[in-house]
Amino acid sequence: MQHSRRVFCGSLTPEDAGRRVTLAGWVDAFRDHGGVLFVHLRDRSGIVQIVFNPESTPDGVFHRASLLRAEYCIAVQGRVDRRLPGTENPGIETGSIEVFVDELEILSESEALPFTVSEKAMTAFGAGAKTDHVAEDLRLQYRYLDLRRPSMRDNIMARHAIFQRLRRLLDGKGFLEIETPVLTISTPEGARDYLVPSRVHPGNFYALPQSPQLFKQLLMIGGMERYFQFARCFRDEDLRPNRQPEFTQLDIEASFIDEEFIYQLVEELAVEMFALGGITLPRPFPRMSWNEAMEKTGSDRPDLRFGLLFEDVTSIFADTGYSIFRRILQGGGRIKGINIAGQSEKLSKNVLQNEYAKEIAPSFGARGMTWMRMEGGKLESNIVQFMSPREREGLVRQFRAVDGDVLIMVADTSPAVLASALGQLRLHLANRLGLIPADLYRPLWVTDFPLFEPAEGGGVTSSHHPFTAPDRTDFDPADRDELLTLRSRSYDLVMNGEELGGGSIRISDRNLQRRIFTALGLTEEEIQAKFGFFLRAFDFGVPPHGGIALGMDRTVSMILNTPSIREVIAFPKNRSAYCPLTGAPSTVRREQLAELGLLGAGKKEVLPGPADGEDEVERLSWVSRIRVLPGERREIEETLRRAEALARQAEERAGDEEPVFSPAPAANRLRDGGEARTPDPAAAEKLLKLSPSVKGNYYKVPGILD
Amino acid sequence: MEPFFVYENSGSEPRNGVTDAALQPCVCVADRPCDAGSPALEGYRPPEDAEVVSRLRRAGIPIRGAVGMSEFGFGLRGGSAGRAAAAGAAQAELMLDLTGESRAAAAALGLWGFKAGYGSVSRRGLIGLVPSMEAPGILARNPAVIRKVLQALSGPDGKDYSQPADEEPDFVPRGIVPDTTVIGVVAESLAGLSPDELAAFRSAVEELRRRGFPIRELSLPGYELFPLVHRIAASVEASSSAGRYDSVRYGTRASAGENWNEMFLQTRGEVFGPLIKSLLLQGAYFQFRRFESYRDACRIRSRLLGELRALEDRADFLLLPSPGQAPAAEPDDLDGLYRRFASTLFANVAGLPALYLPGKGGTGGCQLAAPRLQGPRLLELGEYLDNSPKGD
Repeated sequence: MQHSRRVFCGSLTPEDAGRRVTLAGWVDAFRDHGGVLFVHLRDRSGIVQIVFNPESTPDGVFHRASLLRAEYCIAVQGRVDRRLPGTENPGIETGSIEVFVDELEILSESEALPFTVSEKAMTAFGAGAKTDHVAEDLRLQYRYLDLRRPSMRDNIMARHAIFQRLRRLLDGKGFLEIETPVLTISTPEGARDYLVPSRVHPGNFYALPQSPQLFKQLLMIGGMERYFQFARCFRDEDLRPNRQPEFTQLDIEASFIDEEFIYQLVEELAVEMFALGGITLPRPFPRMSWNEAMEKTGSDRPDLRFGLLFEDVTSIFADTGYSIFRRILQGGGRIKGINIAGQSEKLSKNVLQNEYAKEIAPSFGARGMTWMRMEGGKLESNIVQFMSPREREGLVRQFRAVDGDVLIMVADTSPAVLASALGQLRLHLANRLGLIPADLYRPLWVTDFPLFEPAEGGGVTSSHHPFTAPDRTDFDPADRDELLTLRSRSYDLVMNGEELGGGSIRISDRNLQRRIFTALGLTEEEIQAKFGFFLRAFDFGVPPHGGIALGMDRTVSMILNTPSIREVIAFPKNRSAYCPLTGAPSTVRREQLAELGLLGAGKKEVLPGPADGEDEVERLSWVSRIRVLPGERREIEETLRRAEALARQAEERAGDEEPVFSPAPAANRLRDGGEARTPDPAAAEKLLKLSPSVKGNYYKVPGILD
Repeated sequence: MEPFFVYENSGSEPRNGVTDAALQPCVCVADRPCDAGSPALEGYRPPEDAEVVSRLRRAGIPIRGAVGMSEFGFGLRGGSAGRAAAAGAAQAELMLDLTGESRAAAAALGLWGFKAGYGSVSRRGLIGLVPSMEAPGILARNPAVIRKVLQALSGPDGKDYSQPADEEPDFVPRGIVPDTTVIGVVAESLAGLSPDELAAFRSAVEELRRRGFPIRELSLPGYELFPLVHRIAASVEASSSAGRYDSVRYGTRASAGENWNEMFLQTRGEVFGPLIKSLLLQGAYFQFRRFESYRDACRIRSRLLGELRALEDRADFLLLPSPGQAPAAEPDDLDGLYRRFASTLFANVAGLPALYLPGKGGTGGCQLAAPRLQGPRLLELGEYLDNSPKGD
């Protein structure tokens, strides 16, 4: 059969009726209906039903068809025909036709499958197989089979379409796709690097990039003006369910631009991407300063699909007699609340008091939670009695409360605790009350992040990275309080409470860059050691530039609404950063380690002496569980000194012989069918007379061990 | 009876040429105390016999009783090894040879002492300490008794999982023809001997020469490394082996201890004597601090085995110096112990059978060694030398 004449299963339509076609693919499903064999033939383009009819199919072909099993790879020839009325299958794209086969070639057979690949029912009202119940690690172990499933195929093809659309758009705007090195040097991002030992430079390491940050800035300095790349980035972070040790980001950088350029560009890209998933995003995307986001939602990535925005009601309680609020206000604290409009019926007094106030709010870090309900034009709750009429009126006015509303308030002296606790309550309530509409996408730019955060033990640290441009340049690098008021020219793209990407306008002035390093407390030597090559580039005319990076795995996952990002990655690691298909990461041969200089001086790794601050005798006494009694210590120390000399001597005198551990190897006596020895129970009883005795289902432990 | 018995049996009469044998209490006899000389096993009564005990019973050799032994049989301090045989309370004594104890005890008491080749006697039911070094030893007033006991004990035991897959040993006498039996003398083994020891060794060589045995001087360049290998490998093995003694099911248990770990720590601190404690902590040091040293020692051991195998073509037996007279007090420190057993370690490291021949009039004496599976042949040579008239 000639593969060149092959047509794709999913491409056939009723117009092809009567045409003779060659098809190839996998047996998705089959059934025998009164001696007629129906097979779902699947290739990447889709599924078509092929029919082996003993009356029209040659005997040899029909016999071979009867041997087909799931996932056999086959090629067939036959004639396309419309299905009889009433036998159409709307579950597949080609459900109104079928192909009557007269030639069959079994290209290769398949063993029994670890899980069902087929997802499509063979009849109009049949149920397709579900793979939800298949353990994810099994799917990942047989990812090549998993990828045959139409739903995974769709995800991978959609990802491809999104990537191609982005490439075309960026190409059209004059962006160059440029690759940057994967074997590179540690960059100043927050997470741990994956390191790659160098064989040629023993004891030296490459780092896999956490992002191509420095290279993309160097490309701007190199005059490339507009760059993009689907960059593979690596972060050795602690495991989290929806995170991969390596991920793909759309990395963009451009010169002679400002924030507005990035907003317009990325909004256009996002609208086009989401349109491929049938999602319409209205432009322009709203923008919100970091400050406002924290004030209104307690989060730097607000989910704006629902309301429940914060109100600051501190001023209402300025002279309150309610002792809890008064104490917090005297401590410089603030009071904020949320009006949960119209949810009074769903939030009973019991739920508010016993669940939210007593359990949930404290679990989010709040010291407490105050709640009230509007009923008959009045606030009702267990604490209303402690509030003055003026305070009650103030609340009703500020929350614009009407009957059926529920007000919750949290007071705290720490703005961070207040924002975090109320922000988590906001999300919890929205989920619980079903306030988040499905199929709603609310993009948002969050801007004006703080440039610095307070560092532990004084000083400041960069919130983003030290190349981010500040909102003003007239600051004193030594004034910590002033540094903490600086904002950065950075921006995050947030969608439905998830960060899809972020970036900034970079510093392009070398003196400003140095002052930022000074503000970070880096000495000249440290600056040179960490960023010397990069700063040197700043001495040769740097264009104003900025950029952004979008997390493509997460973005595609959101567009396709998959339960995890692993559904849109062909070969992901599992939640433990392990690849069940290949078994990576794995141990390596000792020789490989030796070759890379990771075993000290090649053959041996000798680390004599205890670790810092550790007592050798105590340590060995502990691992041996042998107490060194008073008076024995000197003798033991002497023994260990001699032992060290012996070890050195053995090292000097040993050659390359294969070590032997006894004068003659033990015979294997475990294989041949000797009888298992079962000790006499009475003897065992005697042997164990000192041991803990059994009483009922418990061990009675001798007094000594209590 | 004699005070050196820990416990005594009575009753059954000998059916074999050997009337009876005494044991060390590291050999399990069902329901008899078996503490291997250590408080760590105090009160332990094994549920069944060791394989060697079963074989003695089958061969009709009554077990007279058990004699006192040093802690785990390591060294000779605190034991009464050989005294039952020397006093005639039992014809043979069965003991463990870890560093040369059977030959040294024999030398101290003017007995014949034999260490079996590695693997030739089942060790199932023998409480050991350094598995790759130790083998059962047999003491008696003459080699014929030793040979009969060895014959009773030897051969494969399907349940001893440490035993090599050796052939059934051959005890058929082949006869000794002095002219064609080459005795090798290892030149390196004479370095460091005192003038007296050297003179004693020379007279032993002369004696053999007079009886017509060709003497061939051989070189074993690695001879000085036997103690090094033994010190490292044995301490690592001991540290491992002794890990099982926790005083939970049997053994002396310390009165202090708030939890399991504390109880183990204190108990094991109290039950092990200074010599064993040094050995075990030294083993821990090699394992946890310098693991390569254990491999290094095993590499050297591999070389030594190779050097000895090469000598097998050049001599039928090796003649080596005597373990020497017993010191005033048996050493209780590792350095002293390894000095004491310097001339016997080779057989433990290499797994060779070795025989101590007492000298005339309680002086001198020497060791003969043979390839690993030639224990019966070595004892045949012993018997020949014991029986044939000595030229004066």
